[in-house]
Amino acid sequence: MEPSELERFEAIVLPHLDAAYTLARYLTRNDHDAQDIVQDAYLRALKYFGGFRGGGADARDGRAWLLAIVRNTAYTWRRRHRADALATEFDEEQHSDAVADHHPAAALERDGARESLHQALDRLPPEFREVIVLRELEGLSYKEIGDVTGVPIGTVMSRLSRARRRLQEALSAGEKWRVT
Amino acid sequence: MESNVTHRELELQLDAYVDGELEPEDARDLETHLQECADCARRHEARVALSAAIREQIPALHAPDALRGRVRATLRNVAGGSASRPVLPPIAGRWLALAASLAVVAVGSWRLALSRAGEDALAGQVLASHVRSLMPGHLTDVVSSDQHTVKPWFNGRLDFSPPVYDFAGRGFPLIGGRLDYVGGRPVAALVYGRRQHLVNVFLWPATRESLSDPSPVATRQGYHLLRWTTPEYAYWVVSDLGVAELHDFAQLVQQADSAATIPAAARALP
Repeated sequence: MEPSELERFEAIVLPHLDAAYTLARYLTRNDHDAQDIVQDAYLRALKYFGGFRGGGADARDGRAWLLAIVRNTAYTWRRRHRADALATEFDEEQHSDAVADHHPAAALERDGARESLHQALDRLPPEFREVIVLRELEGLSYKEIGDVTGVPIGTVMSRLSRARRRLQEALSAGEKWRVT
Repeated sequence: MESNVTHRELELQLDAYVDGELEPEDARDLETHLQECADCARRHEARVALSAAIREQIPALHAPDALRGRVRATLRNVAGGSASRPVLPPIAGRWLALAASLAVVAVGSWRLALSRAGEDALAGQVLASHVRSLMPGHLTDVVSSDQHTVKPWFNGRLDFSPPVYDFAGRGFPLIGGRLDYVGGRPVAALVYGRRQHLVNVFLWPATRESLSDPSPVATRQGYHLLRWTTPEYAYWVVSDLGVAELHDFAQLVQQADSAATIPAAARALP
């Protein structure tokens, strides 16, 4: 790769490192895994940068393009390590923030009888979690979310709506707890 | 708003409206409806409140500085193909150990300066074969420092009889050979030693490739690859030896080859 090519790559793709990490972190719910995934995603992105350039994309497109690679890397990683993950699921130290998945009652007790929105997000299936992150945290358009997740816009809309309904339920349940 | 619109459709519309994704005409219709319908107005407020709560409680994150530095270094390393021995980032070590490490070596961290996709793929396979050969029990199928033992061993195992030389006198003793599979065909792999280092030589009958002198193809994970083509064979060598020493070795092979083929060429003369 020419030095100028690397500079172009860095100028277009590197600014989205925070977005890449945010998506990976919320998908994996684990800092260590998220860092591995982001690093691997950047290597893949560099490898496929030639194909991306063909699209004549600007910096904004660079973000959706990179996030699609991060997402695919995370899903591949998840499939590859599913056996591993099952074996260490209850390792509190490693997966403390995922424990709520399996012991909701314990989580409620620990957090003063109220499930936070954050925990509610963690309990959503990844397909729902990612649309919330991409829309609410990263501000992507429906079209961009469709590009990143590889589904039609109608599916983006319905997933987003269902995810929000679930979060809304968690939020209002929390409010009820507070009132009592 | 049509009275037969279901609640489900309305909820989708409300979300699209909050996200600014509704067509202007539909947005106007919905705004009119919100003024008339207390239920829907409440739902709308709840959605706006939810978005605010999400942004407050679920932050967009900053990548850790360590990750930023590592990504930058890795990109420079991979894309720049620096002459120094590449440093494998510590985090990648775990990755490599967990994942199918050979696939990651071949796919994930290639020096991407390789111009031709075919050469890139071949280099990946050659490196993967080399790394695999270094694992216990994978180095040789036939162990012998005698070229007259190693060469006949390939008879009946390959559709060609690879030239085998011993360079013990020049500091590259023959260790043995094995069958390998590169570029979609069985190939001969010859193993040479150099002090505590190992050199793998892969060769197969040349196809339509043009002749070339030994030239460096890539340097990755601390391994150097050279390739060249004779009228008869395509050669790849890979080792953790320094490039200069590996180049010396390639020239030894090339000289031995041309010495061996001169009689054949002479016979072809009228």
